[in-house]
Amino acid sequence: MGLLYRTWFGLTGWLLAAVLCLFVVQGQVVWWQPAALWTLFAVLWFVTRTLGADPGALPVAAALVFCGWLFLTRLDPAFAHSHSWGVLLGGLLYLFGLLVPVTGWPLTRLWGGAALALLAVTALWGEASGGARAWLTVHGVRFQPVELAKVFFVLYLGKSLSRKRPSWEPVLFLGGFCLLLAWQRDLGPAVLMFLVFCWLLLQQSFSWYKLLACTAAALVGFYGSVRLFTHVENRVLAWLKPWEYLESKGYQVVQGLFALRAGGLVGQGLGQSLVHVIPQAHTDYLLAVVGEEFGFLGVCALLICYFGLAFWALRIADGLAGEEQVIALGLTLLQHLQVFLVVGGMLRLVPFTGLTLPLVSYGSTSIGSQLWMLGLLAGLSRRGGQG
Amino acid sequence: MRKSFLTIACLYGMMLVSAFYWQLCSDIDSHPANPRYYLVFQRERGTIFDRQGRPLAYSSAGEQGYRRTYAAPSLSHVVGYFHERYGVTGLEQLFHAELSAGRSVFTTLDLDLQKKAEELLGGSTGALVAVRPASGEILALVSQPCLDGNALEENWAAYLADVRSPFLNRVTHGLYPPGSVVKTIVLAAAAVEEAAELEDKWDDGGTLDLVGGTVRNFRGRAHGEISLAQALAVSSNVVFGQLAGELGEKLLSYFRLFGLGQPVGCELSNQAGLVPESIASPYHAAQLGIGQGELLVTPLQMAQVACALANRGVLMRPYLVQEVRGGWRLRQITRPQIVGQAVPAWVAELVKAAMTLTAREGTARVERAADLDYAGKTGTAQLGSAPDHAWFIGFAPTDAPQIAVAVVVEHGGTGAHAAAPIGVELMLHAVQMSE
Repeated sequence: MGLLYRTWFGLTGWLLAAVLCLFVVQGQVVWWQPAALWTLFAVLWFVTRTLGADPGALPVAAALVFCGWLFLTRLDPAFAHSHSWGVLLGGLLYLFGLLVPVTGWPLTRLWGGAALALLAVTALWGEASGGARAWLTVHGVRFQPVELAKVFFVLYLGKSLSRKRPSWEPVLFLGGFCLLLAWQRDLGPAVLMFLVFCWLLLQQSFSWYKLLACTAAALVGFYGSVRLFTHVENRVLAWLKPWEYLESKGYQVVQGLFALRAGGLVGQGLGQSLVHVIPQAHTDYLLAVVGEEFGFLGVCALLICYFGLAFWALRIADGLAGEEQVIALGLTLLQHLQVFLVVGGMLRLVPFTGLTLPLVSYGSTSIGSQLWMLGLLAGLSRRGGQG
Repeated sequence: MRKSFLTIACLYGMMLVSAFYWQLCSDIDSHPANPRYYLVFQRERGTIFDRQGRPLAYSSAGEQGYRRTYAAPSLSHVVGYFHERYGVTGLEQLFHAELSAGRSVFTTLDLDLQKKAEELLGGSTGALVAVRPASGEILALVSQPCLDGNALEENWAAYLADVRSPFLNRVTHGLYPPGSVVKTIVLAAAAVEEAAELEDKWDDGGTLDLVGGTVRNFRGRAHGEISLAQALAVSSNVVFGQLAGELGEKLLSYFRLFGLGQPVGCELSNQAGLVPESIASPYHAAQLGIGQGELLVTPLQMAQVACALANRGVLMRPYLVQEVRGGWRLRQITRPQIVGQAVPAWVAELVKAAMTLTAREGTARVERAADLDYAGKTGTAQLGSAPDHAWFIGFAPTDAPQIAVAVVVEHGGTGAHAAAPIGVELMLHAVQMSE
């Protein structure tokens, strides 16, 4: 494994050096961004390995982040510029997750309370953008608290679900979590959290009653939100019959499908797609741009990278037990169910939820929390003896 | 953990399969809501050239991407047009894949001749086509009224309202009774079938009584004692009615040998026309022999007939595209293609001599072209109450034909007055140009 990583870093290092030479020769000003990204991931890799943790996620994560950087540069270099800072911040959060232990803290409800508090603060003083009041500005720094709240909540679930004696407490916390998000009109993370919770619950001890209860809750929640929120109803209609709402509700879905189809097997080539017709191409619909420019093979490569991350994370979770295992599995699910909701939403497997594509999409808080999750998983791998 | 892993693997599998479906199997490329579908109208496109390398249709850069420009309005029926709102027609449509890949199409058309033909036909409704007899290359193809490919937006409403239907390509899709121009085929058939002694003199009394009806000459004129060649020159209905009556159903097979009743097989789609299955009576035969009755032909078919007569009886396939060139692929070159030997060479020469006589002394004589050595035949297709269609077919020069033409002027009156001058003038122009 170690040899493989070294080869990977060696190869990409040389390739990057060549690309940088090209950038410098051509007078491109963005050369420092890929250089910084690569250096960051190389440093993180060495630190992780030195600490005896499993650095396996980093090459794959680097590939995904690099892909995201490439497409953001292609869409608008300004996006890539601010995204690069987000990645650097994410690097720090990765180290934080790697070094600071999150388990064994005395106060059980600390993380859950923190998650709810973050959401409540956002719901009260947050700023609206794109229909959802999901933004918070603290000292001029604008971020999406829900991205952190999701991780906090998984950390809380780790404690509460791994206890021997079952209680209704996590259910109440989940209810509060989802209601606060509904108050913000930001239901994507609520769906994600609900799915993660159900999965973890059934993973701990399976019973048909639990499954039935989860399904019932899902149906009630689905029906209720469709009746309550017009934007949810629109999303559902756009999922079921986008061809009837070409110019309105279904526009984004249909344009995404057109873009994917235009990509075909090998794609139109970098910079050759018709991105301006896709709304929110840099956040929700980045994969449509990747699909049009790099084709089915590009989408495959991206999905294989994600699957590699899932494999890596589940391998770590397998070596753990109790609270740590629940947390590891929860973080993995948080990441990969989000991939499924985004990609599946674009491909009409599920309604589109407006989440970002982990590690690839634009958004500093999003990429920061995703890297933090990888750091937490790497930190947990030190305990499992699998590193 | 194993179940979780398998479930996640399933989710990724689902994503892969549906990505595979949407990217490679779905059929949404040309959906009207897909903006990519319209991009092709703004992209640069290969040029369509005439036989001397002059552009007939080319892309030029404008504010909103590239725009297509056409060298002459009459090209709308050959080259077609390429428009975001009104679609793609003609060669633009047939060679869309090649043109949009940047390849050039070299046609057999001659822009000079095309413009001259357009000018000669002028405002009258009709069709004119010029073909090179030895090869079947189409030199000019005009159907009036036509659409101006450079000004479709401005004129579209007027085109739609025009009762003369400017969208119809009369050369390939106009179906007309051929009138007397078909007598050339009857003469050829009679010569092959030995239906008459060629040296015989015929007595033309102006009317011919047959079972089922009476055939009359144009305006009932009696031509007296005339030879077959003279009968063609004066376009005697009496003589050709008799000849056709003697040939009977054999005549139909000669129509087919000359390509009537089937599409000519050039690149543009074209009508097959109509040759009846059988002949009911001598009067029916006589009617067909003078180009009336249910026989229907396109101008392109009659041009092909003229070519065969000029070309020692060899029927060539008319074609429009000489070569497709450019890009990384091999050139596609069209070779002249022989359809068959319609009649033996000596018969074609005999008809040619009679048509030359027609041009010198008969109905196809045009004063202005006194020094052009050409062969021709006029026709006046009678329509009952409406004014007659005027026909002319011919070729020039007679000893080594370079150009064959077919002209129809709808409701133009007699072929001698309305059609022959147009066809002869075009041949004169072509011959002078080549000198």
